[in-house]
Amino acid sequence: MTDDAMATRIEALEELLTEKGLVDPDSVDRLIDHFTHFTQHVGPMNGAKVIARAWVDPAYKRRLLADGTRAIAEFGFGGPVAAMVKVVANTPKIHNVVVCTLCSCYPRALLGLPPNWYTSPAYRSRMVAEPRALLREMGLDLPARVQIRVWDSSAEARFMVLPLRPEGTDNLSEARLAELVTRDAMIGVAEVAWPGP
Amino acid sequence: MNAFDPVDVAGPAAPPRSNGEVVFEAPWQQRLFGLTLAMTETAAMPWETFRTRLIGRIAEDEARPYWESWAAALEDVLAASAMLSITDVDTRPNLLVQDTE
Repeated sequence: MTDDAMATRIEALEELLTEKGLVDPDSVDRLIDHFTHFTQHVGPMNGAKVIARAWVDPAYKRRLLADGTRAIAEFGFGGPVAAMVKVVANTPKIHNVVVCTLCSCYPRALLGLPPNWYTSPAYRSRMVAEPRALLREMGLDLPARVQIRVWDSSAEARFMVLPLRPEGTDNLSEARLAELVTRDAMIGVAEVAWPGP
Repeated sequence: MNAFDPVDVAGPAAPPRSNGEVVFEAPWQQRLFGLTLAMTETAAMPWETFRTRLIGRIAEDEARPYWESWAAALEDVLAASAMLSITDVDTRPNLLVQDTE
């Protein structure tokens, strides 16, 4: 069937189901919005898998920090857009955050398409000039004792943050850990949270 | 737990994905997806019932585009549970066309 024919058919289906009281169009809208939000924040599974592996496998973590491009190739991720990936690790004393001041360099093979704010002039300039204030505005209020390092991505080096593994997650599997890792945490504008079982 | 937890990530019934994100190539595909989730959320249609039909429709014609199989599966469930007859859906688009004439 053509796209037009399918579009008409699905529209007809929705109208019928609505008339019969089987669905509420508002809840369809809400689910679509919710899903879009969900995939944008939790969607970048490639990067999340890499992070989770580094959390559970110290040898992998060492390889990842030494040569990001080679370490992500172990997963089969790579290609031109993943070239020159450099991973920087957060510690209790150092928080890393990534920006591309010149354009929008971004490890797409790991994180998908960059969010709109990443390419905005405000983010690109303010993350360099006043990272602590900007991070706070974005919802990440770091204690004064934590030093912030800002990494400027370029065509030569695309940075990704290795966030801290949240406390209380010792018993989680690698796959379950990967589900906790968000895009924002891998850019460095958020931390990974463990909501509890 | 959220409404899309049951959606397969891998295997025969899994939607096409790119770097973890489900790929919709046209707005109707997204609408169809939302419609299906809404049906399962109200328990009007159990997810497993739909999933079984989806696997069946995909296996029946693997060349058919994924979201068309999805649409066929949804109509199968609705028809089988007598929530909707196929005739309803088949005649409805014609009504819509006539409306606009």
